[in-house]
Amino acid sequence: MNPSTLAVNSVPHSEAPSETPQPWASMVERIRAGDPSGMEELYGVFTTGIRFYLCRQLGPQDLDDKVHDAFLTIAQSIRRGDLREPERLMGYVRTIIRRQVASYIGAAVEARRNWVDPEHGAVLRDRQPDPERKAIDQQNLDLAMRVLNTLPRRDREVLMRFYLQEQSPRQICRDMGLTQTQFRLTKSRAKSRFTELGQARFARRLGFKPPAPVRNVDSASAKAS
Amino acid sequence: MASTAQWLSGMARTVDQHLDEETTENYSVGNLSARTVAQIEKHLLICQPCRQSVAASDAYVASMRQAAANLRKAERKAKRKVERRAGG
Repeated sequence: MNPSTLAVNSVPHSEAPSETPQPWASMVERIRAGDPSGMEELYGVFTTGIRFYLCRQLGPQDLDDKVHDAFLTIAQSIRRGDLREPERLMGYVRTIIRRQVASYIGAAVEARRNWVDPEHGAVLRDRQPDPERKAIDQQNLDLAMRVLNTLPRRDREVLMRFYLQEQSPRQICRDMGLTQTQFRLTKSRAKSRFTELGQARFARRLGFKPPAPVRNVDSASAKAS
Repeated sequence: MASTAQWLSGMARTVDQHLDEETTENYSVGNLSARTVAQIEKHLLICQPCRQSVAASDAYVASMRQAAANLRKAERKAKRKVERRAGG
């Protein structure tokens, strides 16, 4: 996809911090020199981001160990002088953790290939889904089903093409005769509905009652008389 | 709002510009170019609000994808049933 056609924009957040120049050069220099403050700073800046990336790609299993391994690799690599341009630190960190992810995936594929039940010949599962995660996923799935089931057929088709068939917005608009705005509106309406249903469910769980339906005063008084 | 080029060049160095909703969703769906993904992932390394947005978007996209798959399956099943009845 051509990047120039993407709706990739920045959103200035009101609560966003002001522009902070990041002193990568000083930090990298201290890491190279073996100054512990350099490693502390590296850890402070990147630990949550690396954790997020690894968890998103590989799941929560052994996450602490993986984050630790990533920092070791990054620090050793910087000390060896592999990072020549400190201003490229973020790209460098990303490359290292991407390689780490590829390596874990490769190892997992290999392990799965070798983990065969000798009696039945079936591949053994290496992990069970976290029950809490499973429950949340199921609730989200129920909401999504409700959203899709209540949409007009055409809107539903748009969403199914986008989310299930992974067609590009351009292709969907072309095939279904939609403008980009109509496409965005369809997606945005579905998402709003999903959020509303989720909030309503959350409120019910916390014990908030939905507002009582407004009674017709005339018919109520007629019944009373 | 910054242009794509401005966003791409400035994104990795600052945390005062955040991903918009559409970009976040496209990232979750996985239909962005490798170059854009690289810029986004560099930004995510240092931006907590955008990480939260991506996590929420990932959950939403996964649910919609699964729901769409279930619905498609149900539609096909219903269609086969109708065809069988018509054939029998």
